[in-house]
Amino acid sequence: MTGRFISLFILVAFSSFVFSQSVVNTVHNLSANGPGTVKASSETEVCIFCHTPHNSSPRKPLWNREDPGLNYTLYNSSTIQASPGQPDGASLLCLSCHDGTIALGNVLSLNEPIVFNNGVTVMPSGASNLSTDLSDDHPVSFIYDASLAAADNELADPASLSGPVHLENNKLQCTACHDAHKDIYHDFLTVNNQNSELCLYCHQKTGWDNASHKTSLATWNGSGDDPWPHSDFSTVSENGCENCHQPHTAAGALRILNYYREEDNCFICHSGTVASKNVEADFGKQWIHNVTPTTNVHDPEELLPVQTEHVECVDCHNPHMAGSIVATAPDASAYIQGVPGINSGGTAVNSIQFEYELCYKCHADSPDKPGTNIPRQIEQTNVRLEFDLGNPSFHPVEGAGKNMDVPSLITPYSESSVIYCTECHASNNSSVKGPHGSDYTHLLKFNYETADFTTESYQAYELCYQCHDRNSIINNTSTQFAEDVHQQHIVDEDTPCSVCHDAHGISSTQGNTTNNTHLINFNTSVVRASNGGGSRLEFIDNGNFAGECFLYCHGKNHNPRSYN
Amino acid sequence: MRAFKILFTSFLMLWIVNLSAQSIVGSAHDFSDDNWNTTGQICLVCHTPHNADASISNAPLWNHESTSATFTTYTSATMDATTGQPDASSKLCLSCHDGTVAVDNFGNQTGGTYFISGNDNIGTTLSDDHPISFTYDAALATTDNGLYDPTTANSGLGGTISEDLLIGGQVKCASCHDVHNGSGIDKLLRLSNDASALCLTCHNK
Repeated sequence: MTGRFISLFILVAFSSFVFSQSVVNTVHNLSANGPGTVKASSETEVCIFCHTPHNSSPRKPLWNREDPGLNYTLYNSSTIQASPGQPDGASLLCLSCHDGTIALGNVLSLNEPIVFNNGVTVMPSGASNLSTDLSDDHPVSFIYDASLAAADNELADPASLSGPVHLENNKLQCTACHDAHKDIYHDFLTVNNQNSELCLYCHQKTGWDNASHKTSLATWNGSGDDPWPHSDFSTVSENGCENCHQPHTAAGALRILNYYREEDNCFICHSGTVASKNVEADFGKQWIHNVTPTTNVHDPEELLPVQTEHVECVDCHNPHMAGSIVATAPDASAYIQGVPGINSGGTAVNSIQFEYELCYKCHADSPDKPGTNIPRQIEQTNVRLEFDLGNPSFHPVEGAGKNMDVPSLITPYSESSVIYCTECHASNNSSVKGPHGSDYTHLLKFNYETADFTTESYQAYELCYQCHDRNSIINNTSTQFAEDVHQQHIVDEDTPCSVCHDAHGISSTQGNTTNNTHLINFNTSVVRASNGGGSRLEFIDNGNFAGECFLYCHGKNHNPRSYN
Repeated sequence: MRAFKILFTSFLMLWIVNLSAQSIVGSAHDFSDDNWNTTGQICLVCHTPHNADASISNAPLWNHESTSATFTTYTSATMDATTGQPDASSKLCLSCHDGTVAVDNFGNQTGGTYFISGNDNIGTTLSDDHPISFTYDAALATTDNGLYDPTTANSGLGGTISEDLLIGGQVKCASCHDVHNGSGIDKLLRLSNDASALCLTCHNK
């Protein structure tokens, strides 16, 4: 008895396998007996909608339909190396139904069109109707040869495409991805696209193998919008390319993205719904790298340094490479790897090695960049020049700092430490590491008061006190410097750190090792030149914990005032 | 016993259906009433019992002027078969259907004036017609990957494709069409093409 059941099961399984491989059991069977909803009222022949044994169109194979027009809007982008032409070959055959211009029942072998159910004539609107606007579809009808693969640098050798994904007369056509007669993997795909296997036949994105978008097993927690409405897969890894891309009628036509606003392609998952951290929430804060008001203003081919102020997610992240492995300063972490930048010498690099190279893309030599709100003796908004290792002083971003005696540093920080830009500039109160959004000015990770007459507290200079021990700064009276300078100014006079110190650094092109060590570059809205004796505004470094100042501040005239 | 009765009845009905198969009489190939056929005969347009034309191989007692046209054969980038010029029985069909020979040029008559027209006129350009005169064997089925193995797949007529539908191992006009209307199916098809059954006999799509 059991044997009969097994036999029956095998028979059923076998017949369904055979059946699913037949066009008869697909929605391309437009006959009255077809399984789809779009089908003929009474015509029972299956092949007739495309093929005829006699008097066919000149198109092969034995084509039974007229050609659509050739007024298609083609796909284009700044990064495409291929040259898609008006559709030809098999693609034109597909479009004789799928562009929605020719009635499905219009066949050459019959004088009258085949009548369809429900009054259907042309392809009903929806995912199957590509329209004549192909700018939102994966390009077709382009020559895919070795020189294209070489020019693109991230495409497979076309000689490798001899299996289910294949070219037609050297051209990529619809038939590379679709087999009109077999619907084994949904959408008539030639290969199962789980883990984007189909896409990867051609697309060989640098770094993809280790990218989070390739490896993550994260699933959707069910809140918000379904991140994968057009997919049968349930993890980031399985969805692969389709996490962001959609090969047809993509809302984000440029680079066939799922959403028109490029940040929506990120936020759909990076809002705590798939990715555990809610990056989107950080963009609701006051100080943000504001990706939301502009759409598609970033161009991968843009000239570096960035010429027009803008920021989009992909300015800082390469979704084909991004991972979650952290690094040690100044090395770029996996989160931002594979992104172009500007190196310490001011030269553009295709893929950053150090985190600061990413920041320099916009905050260094760009003509259009954010400035500063603190007027200083020496004005400089090019942060690359501010952090240069040849400067008289700088915070140690590119390499270890100049001052070899900084007693306030909190372990593990030391005089030889190197820090990231993102140790000061990052989202506050967030599990997300990067500088997406902060409640604090200039996208600082912690509070940093710069207004004169600020009452000292841990909270007032929380940013500085992350590395520089507060007690060491204001209560260590072991030296005259500590007592007369830090305590007196910060605590007694309510003077913020920023009045004397310029946190990034002082460029060697403007400052010098006599006047601008220890990040000294006075805030000129608070500090003025001294009265009498030459009217000087100047700090003079006289060695370790020794110096003198010529200035007028808080009603006091230093002309000079010395400490040692 | 009941099952046997049902089985027996089914076979009996099939046999009756087979017996009642149509004939050429009254079919599209019955020209006995056509103006151009002054003989009033049915068979004579193509056949003669004596003095037949033996110049075409396998031509059964041929009585119609045969075409001497050179045909443009079907080609396609995705076709793995190798086609040749129509020969044997296909050439006989084309002796009317290519439109170069008058249909009333039979029985040694020449100078006929009636030519085939409309969709029945296939012409000498066969590039828009299903290919013929090619060998269809197991090897072709393997190479194409979209054809059934003719040596094992059922023809729908009782045997395999090779046995029932191929002539000398080749696809010819007669693979799809029965010139004598033996099945009584529209367009003189050998098998009903309802649900494209005829196409799907060979095409594994």
